[in-house]
Amino acid sequence: MSGLVTGGWNFVIAAYVVTFSVLFIYGVSIITRLREERSRAAEEANTK
Amino acid sequence: MAAWLKNEICDITCFASGTAPHPPAAPSPRRAGRGTIESERMKTAPPAILLAIGAYFGFVVAIGQFHGVPGLALGLPSGVIATLAAGCGVAGAIWFLFANDQLDSWRPPQILIGLALVCLAFGSYYGLFVAPPEQFMGDVQRIMYVHVPTAWNALLAMTLAFVCAVIFLFNSDYKWDSRMEGSIEVGVVLAFLLCCQGAIWAKPTWGVWWDWDPRLTTTAVLLFAFIGILALRKFVEDPARRAIWSAVATIIAYVDVPIVYFSVRWWNSLHQQQSNPGTVSKQFWLPLRLNAFGILFLMVAFIMVRARLAALRLEHEMAPPLPEVAELGEAV
Repeated sequence: MSGLVTGGWNFVIAAYVVTFSVLFIYGVSIITRLREERSRAAEEANTK
Repeated sequence: MAAWLKNEICDITCFASGTAPHPPAAPSPRRAGRGTIESERMKTAPPAILLAIGAYFGFVVAIGQFHGVPGLALGLPSGVIATLAAGCGVAGAIWFLFANDQLDSWRPPQILIGLALVCLAFGSYYGLFVAPPEQFMGDVQRIMYVHVPTAWNALLAMTLAFVCAVIFLFNSDYKWDSRMEGSIEVGVVLAFLLCCQGAIWAKPTWGVWWDWDPRLTTTAVLLFAFIGILALRKFVEDPARRAIWSAVATIIAYVDVPIVYFSVRWWNSLHQQQSNPGTVSKQFWLPLRLNAFGILFLMVAFIMVRARLAALRLEHEMAPPLPEVAELGEAV
């Protein structure tokens, strides 16, 4: 046991993949939700 | 605070007298139609100047340090450079957020997402392939380039939520409630991501995925406290009560943020001390700052979109019923 960490690229790749996947999924989800809300608001404005 | 006390007193007196509680404040008269300011143009000049100063001290100086050109730092000590980079970057991004989040346009978040992608692409490339491995942790330390920026921005999002909560309690303007909702949700996403990244980093360095260490425990408490506030907002139907209660809960939950930050100094923690220019080698500055700016821009874009969504939902809740429905209600 030297106290030095060797290797570990799989952990690095996992951290980057998790980070960008979560950010991408959340970004897509809020953009989709905002589009739906805007179309509903536009429909309501048209019915008035 | 005075407005909040006034509303609470009104609630109590209305409850005692059997009358309806006060209605939520009407949307600002500036926000006509669907509550948007379509006639106003995007405000970019002052935030862009601040961001340019932040980018100079964050990126250009770091590139100079990386390639052995220290003259770009203008003789300033590293602490001042870090403060200028972070201060101007954060101030510029938040100014851009508050100046443009009422616009009914996709352009402001598009600009921020574009900037974020550029910063994250270069930052990740530098962090993964150019920066040298750390002396003791080797390549595993490259997780720092996403973990530390996520931590900074998670705490910043919680701080924004706290500021919005305080301002809402003082002026009862519902745009601050929408901003608070957006900041809390984005802060929760980043805090969740922070815990995942931390677990992935902990396994090869500590030998365990999770430990009840003060830093990890207080971060988990912070995450669940803000998830609780989101749940509270979901369950309370009255917009006025929802806004007031969640603002008060946000202020209480925010007490944990300085505890998270200082936990590594106050207690004998397994977690290392905070990363700053004094504890991080100059060769690591550039990828760290590029990713910090990238996640900052992404966070601000997400808050902008999420706050707009919250504002539209609030207007739908507060809109008067259609005439046909109102007549039907009277007939019944």
